[in-house]
Amino acid sequence: MFFNSIAFAIFLPIVFFLYWFVFNKTKSTQNALLIIVSYYFYSCWDWRFLFLLVFSTFLDYYTGIQIEKGKSEKSRKFWFWLSILVNLGFLGIFKYYNFFAASFSELLNSVGLKTSPVLLNVILPVGISFYTFHGLSYVIDIYYKRIKAEYNFIDYSLFVSYFPLLVAGPIERATHLLPQVKVKREFDFEKAKEGFCQLVWGLFKKVVIADNCAIYANNIFDNYASMDSFSLILGAVYFAFQIYGDFSGYSDIALGVSKLFGIDLLRNFNYPYFSRDIAEFWRRWHISLSSWFRDYLYIPLGGSKGSKLMQIRNVFIIFLVSGFWHGANWTYIVWGLIHATYFLVLLLLKKNRNNFGKIRISWNVSSAKTIGSILVTFAITCFSWIFFRSLNIYMALDYIKRIVSFNFTLDSFKEHVSFIIIIILPYLILLEWNNRNKECPLFDRFSKIKVVITILFILLFGQFDIQSKFIYFQF
Amino acid sequence: MKQFLIYTAKVLLITVLIAVLMDGLYTYVFLQSKNRGKIETVFNSKSQNYDVVILGSSRANNHFVSKMFEDKGLKTFNYGMSGGHLFEASLLLKLMIERKYSIKNVILEADLNLSNDHQAEGIAALFLPYIHNSQTIKQHFQSNENFNELYYIPFYRYIKYDGKIGFRETYKIVKREKTNALDNLGYYPLAKHKNGNMKNNIVNLNPLKHNKYYEEIKNICKEKKINFIAVMTPMCENVAGMNYFEKVKKAYPEIHNYENAVVENKYFSSCGHMTDTGARLFTATILKDFFNK
Repeated sequence: MFFNSIAFAIFLPIVFFLYWFVFNKTKSTQNALLIIVSYYFYSCWDWRFLFLLVFSTFLDYYTGIQIEKGKSEKSRKFWFWLSILVNLGFLGIFKYYNFFAASFSELLNSVGLKTSPVLLNVILPVGISFYTFHGLSYVIDIYYKRIKAEYNFIDYSLFVSYFPLLVAGPIERATHLLPQVKVKREFDFEKAKEGFCQLVWGLFKKVVIADNCAIYANNIFDNYASMDSFSLILGAVYFAFQIYGDFSGYSDIALGVSKLFGIDLLRNFNYPYFSRDIAEFWRRWHISLSSWFRDYLYIPLGGSKGSKLMQIRNVFIIFLVSGFWHGANWTYIVWGLIHATYFLVLLLLKKNRNNFGKIRISWNVSSAKTIGSILVTFAITCFSWIFFRSLNIYMALDYIKRIVSFNFTLDSFKEHVSFIIIIILPYLILLEWNNRNKECPLFDRFSKIKVVITILFILLFGQFDIQSKFIYFQF
Repeated sequence: MKQFLIYTAKVLLITVLIAVLMDGLYTYVFLQSKNRGKIETVFNSKSQNYDVVILGSSRANNHFVSKMFEDKGLKTFNYGMSGGHLFEASLLLKLMIERKYSIKNVILEADLNLSNDHQAEGIAALFLPYIHNSQTIKQHFQSNENFNELYYIPFYRYIKYDGKIGFRETYKIVKREKTNALDNLGYYPLAKHKNGNMKNNIVNLNPLKHNKYYEEIKNICKEKKINFIAVMTPMCENVAGMNYFEKVKKAYPEIHNYENAVVENKYFSSCGHMTDTGARLFTATILKDFFNK
């Protein structure tokens, strides 16, 4: 059941009605309903994976309690590592086993040892990377005594399986979500209205921006060998907007839907293409994952403390893992390494903490510099997306080689820039730029007008082909 | 809560109003369309006289050279549609009758398309802008399971089939951009394709014993006293399951088997579609056999 499907348009109002009018007596009834509908929502993809989700939930719930109850350090360590290994084991088997087996076999073949890898014929369960990371952060926090274990199984299950975030995040923290599910939610008009606006904006980003850009990006990437340099550059830009619209659109719908049920989720995107450098980009893009890696990997490794060599090592590790998290493919790993290199330049120049403040623009030289920085950051981000989108490294390198051949034709502009794109991209950029200090551009001033115009754009330019899935579902 | 329900109700009401307005606007634009495709041309046309009307899928569209009929003094148009099934062929004929077309002969390509009686999504969508303006279209779609959504939810059909009848198509109609669908009196000639697939496997294909839409076309012709000529058109040499055509002959003895009229691969662009040269050979045979010309 996709967020942009008719099924979800029916599912959501029914759940909303049941939640606020039938199951609204206590926190327990509210949570019980949300658990049932969350499991139903998940089973709409493949009911068999529900067992994995329930098992993963039970494992972390039980080990969390055992870690807290553990009398000796040895016992605490046992339960901690059991949870970590089983969680990562599932992730490893479903997501990475085939990649490692094939890569290892290729390595042996390259040194003359003929082997054929034993590959598993399994489908990647939807959302496994997301709910595994929920569970991991919970167990790690209990082990390091940052939080108390949750003894109410329903409440804990809801933390892991809450349907708006179940399949593509944001990756929640127990410290943020659990306190909210432990109290009865009261209806808040402003929050619900904001949620509704965010839902509409997310839908616009998905069905209008992402799916229209996808038509051009797919055409260019699939036929890149016959494209001129200008088309190839456009292909990278279209993919940048496609992946942004797709993933941030999904996140906005998730956050918006959740607000309708009185629950705030972690913000996942903060207008990343307005970043002035790559460090700021990573503070604005997929925030819940970046902060997860920062808190559970980068800082424990020493972060930006220690010798320069250690700092460089830490940066490469975190970006490498971040790339690998997206999927078992060398293209994601290279994508991570490119970002590590970008970041390293800032780190070595001690400029990685330069752009924390708000973006202020006026008619002066400094503003021109800021706009220049934003454009440069966007350009280098687009460059890295070429690797992310390509099927393999060779394709990405060939794609780049063809860009730098500087072969331009006027026809490509006609072919790859449509009337729709000329309307929708400026609308997205202008609305987000003018509302860049707010979580949702449609909320607040002129809310009604903005919502109506956005709905009109969804009706006019939206692509409602159910085949166009959300890109991040595969991760 | 009351405040929120009023807010969402207002937004929903505005959305419905926009949808109704857009529905009206798009339909109005489609009703002006004349040079984009065969369906809108028929829908927006007035009574016509034809000696021969050709119906079917791409195997009709690419196989019957209308100009050769015209050269023999027969007013002809090829209404074959690439990707179309008999569902659409039947509907197109009904629309012609609704518009009081005078037709002497209908040539229907009836072979591989006899194996199903469902609609071809892409082509069927092209009839939908007119669903509220034509009882014929409404009735034809009425048995479809998503008819209610398509008929009653304003603008839904334009959203669902955006690729076919969405903003892009509407914009092109407004711009009066022409397509080549109506060139060559509806016939679309194919060239020899270097990488054309010259193999086909139809072993698992079976003609339906009573294809609803084939029967409809046959009955309309009978009722309107139109000479009905159903033919199976040629396939290339390397087809597995050629006994399909015998099965068709057995189930529908009135269909003329021309599967072997042209056989050599050099006359084919792909296994199921002849080149212009092949189509001319085939059309000459049809003209000789059915029209003595």
